[in-house]
Amino acid sequence: MATATAKQQDHSGEAGGFFAWLMAPERRGPLLVTPAIVMLFVMNIFPLLWSFGLSFFNYRANKLTVPKFRGLYYYEKVLTDDKVWERFQTTAVIVGSSVILQLIIGFLLALMFARIFPLRRILLMLVLTPMMLSFVSVGVFFKLYYEPTFGLVSWVLNHVTSEPFVMLGTPTGAIAAIVIADAWMWSPFVMLLVLAGLVSVPKYLYEAAEVDRASWWRRFSTITFPYIKSLLLLAVLFRTIETFKLFDLVYIITEGGPGSATETIAVYVYRMAFQFFRTSQSAALAYIMLFVVIVLTNLYLYAVKRREQAI
Amino acid sequence: MGNGSRFILTLAGASLLASTAATSLLAADITISMAAPDWPPTRFMKEEFDKTYTSPDGHTTTLDMDFIPWPSFYERVAASLTSGEQKYQMIVTDSQWLGSFVEGGYYADLTQFMKDDPELTAIMQDLHPVLVSSYSTYPHKTRAQLEEAGTWPAPDTSYYGFPQFPDTYVTFYREDLFCHEGEAAAFQEAFGKTLPCTYEDWQDVDWDTWRDIGEHFKRAKGEPLGDGTAEDDFYGIAYQAGKGYDFSTMQANAFVWQYGGSIWDETQAPDGQAEGIVNSDVAVEAMEHYLSLLEYMPPVAQTGQMDIFVIQDLYMQGKVGAIIDWVGLGEPVLDPNTSTVSDKSAFGPAPGLRKEDGSIDRTANIGGQPFVLTTWNDDDVIKEALNVVKWWLNPETQKTFVANGGQSGLMSVMADPEYNDLRPWNRAHVEMLDWQRDVWHIPEFFELLTQQQEEFDKAITGQIGAKEALDAVAEFQQEVLEEAGHIE
Repeated sequence: MATATAKQQDHSGEAGGFFAWLMAPERRGPLLVTPAIVMLFVMNIFPLLWSFGLSFFNYRANKLTVPKFRGLYYYEKVLTDDKVWERFQTTAVIVGSSVILQLIIGFLLALMFARIFPLRRILLMLVLTPMMLSFVSVGVFFKLYYEPTFGLVSWVLNHVTSEPFVMLGTPTGAIAAIVIADAWMWSPFVMLLVLAGLVSVPKYLYEAAEVDRASWWRRFSTITFPYIKSLLLLAVLFRTIETFKLFDLVYIITEGGPGSATETIAVYVYRMAFQFFRTSQSAALAYIMLFVVIVLTNLYLYAVKRREQAI
Repeated sequence: MGNGSRFILTLAGASLLASTAATSLLAADITISMAAPDWPPTRFMKEEFDKTYTSPDGHTTTLDMDFIPWPSFYERVAASLTSGEQKYQMIVTDSQWLGSFVEGGYYADLTQFMKDDPELTAIMQDLHPVLVSSYSTYPHKTRAQLEEAGTWPAPDTSYYGFPQFPDTYVTFYREDLFCHEGEAAAFQEAFGKTLPCTYEDWQDVDWDTWRDIGEHFKRAKGEPLGDGTAEDDFYGIAYQAGKGYDFSTMQANAFVWQYGGSIWDETQAPDGQAEGIVNSDVAVEAMEHYLSLLEYMPPVAQTGQMDIFVIQDLYMQGKVGAIIDWVGLGEPVLDPNTSTVSDKSAFGPAPGLRKEDGSIDRTANIGGQPFVLTTWNDDDVIKEALNVVKWWLNPETQKTFVANGGQSGLMSVMADPEYNDLRPWNRAHVEMLDWQRDVWHIPEFFELLTQQQEEFDKAITGQIGAKEALDAVAEFQQEVLEEAGHIE
């Protein structure tokens, strides 16, 4: 009896009660990550699985009818829908143009900020500001800039042409308007990445190149570019993934117009899900989008791995 | 005092005490959460409720209004309802949403409550029939169908909503320009017509005169305008031609109806077709007319972004002479803090199409919103929510509302001789109310609306013509409506 009591005391004494038992070193790790896992499951994994399930039923959130199993019907419907392919094309045009523009501007900015000059820090801070703003603010700014009656762009051009400038009146103009807004917002991000590459180039390499009287192009192609190319690739992939999901700027600046000329696939998914209540169909389309993003993400991870190996 | 009197007094006192006790026992704290668009008519309702509402059942009632910005109003309400959170007891809703949310099981059928409560019955019978038809019935019944029935409630009809704010669009115009002698003389010389100045003049304005006004007042910066010169490019007219929500459909529908055309008629389901009706020759002609006037409007019209807020804004900035816009957007126009033309504005009926007999058809698409009750309310909340409805549609509350920029749907209130003088647009609103019809109420309305807005937007921005736009709309509607079983 005395031994049993001692053992019992040992157990509780050693652990100091349930809390101490719970906080034992072997349980501490799992315990600390549990809240994060629970949150991840509740907020991400469960909705993902649930919507994946919905994509196989004919469910509409605004109807009381019992959903029926439809198999791959909505995937087939989405993939054979001309509108979906139109939206994918629009998205591709916007992504391609915007990412290229961001690369060019970001790269040039990085080259500029790689040198030391007066007020560099302040200017750098100002250049970085756009990417810190919310999409909604940027969208509203640009919508007002493009307004033909009193907008800044039209006002400036009116001095030259004596005509109001209607940028959002044509599909090309509207796409350009979105690309410019997106590039304005995210070129600083590309700049940051490239700048990180530029400042990591050892100075002695440039000094050696100078001794060898290497041309500017030679220095760039043999010293600078190899250091920044993996970062550039990262920037391209990261911006491609993000721009592929572009919603806010499009919705605010053009609402997808004129007509459907600027309606990206993300805006179309939103309309399908929350305006048309084609819940299952929108879930299927969202999963196709997710697939594309996963492919891009894997490319991104591959690029990161390559860079790590290179370093 | 005799024994008998004493007994009666005692009995009366006891009854009073008992009823007071019973009331206080039954009285409860009730919070009614209401989803509402964030704009003056709903803001006023909240203020007035907090100031004047007393529950007839002795409850301590709180009206907790969730003010949601207009651009995201539908999405926020839809997300709340479909998520199952059951947050709202009442909802200010566009009439077009009725089908979607009745079929979803979210909006409560109030027919029996209306029938059982004499006060509610009286309200329904006093409401303008256009509002009963548009704001309350689902499946939708036209005004003609309800009037044909001759009784209230009409047989086989379910009623869901009461008017929170009945809206129509009217003409807002610059009195300083339209009543300017020099401008009037120039207009007379150019077009052989009187430049409309008074309300009566505006009653004679058709779309041709509206176009002439647009042409007349189009001025470049620095050109003479009224008593001065145009500080910026100036335009004569503007009406809604925006891609968002229903910001071209509402005006385009008016043209179609005035020409004798039709949108897809849900009351004719399942026999009523979309193809051949929506894109009929007369509808195409009407659409062409609607599009042809855009060239006289501010250049934002060419972007497809000239929505109801943009035209209101341009008007308040003094860049447009006359606009057709909702009464609900009138109050900021008269506010010197928000409008540069607050002291120069007057209001008239919206223009229309002149018929062969010389009369003008002003048929238009109704605006405004009803409020509805949700299906998950318990008996106490339903009863109290209906008390709130009765308070809101009480003639005194309605008159205060109207005096503060609102509108009433009660015919008895509108018939009050003081009504037209309460706000400067009231006369126009009362005149326009009789011309109103409504767009679809079926659950698929948003899909139909969005596609139609897209096609109209292409036509507005000059990518396609009226016929191409309406052909695409008709084809799409036929497909969606067949799939949904509305067309056989």
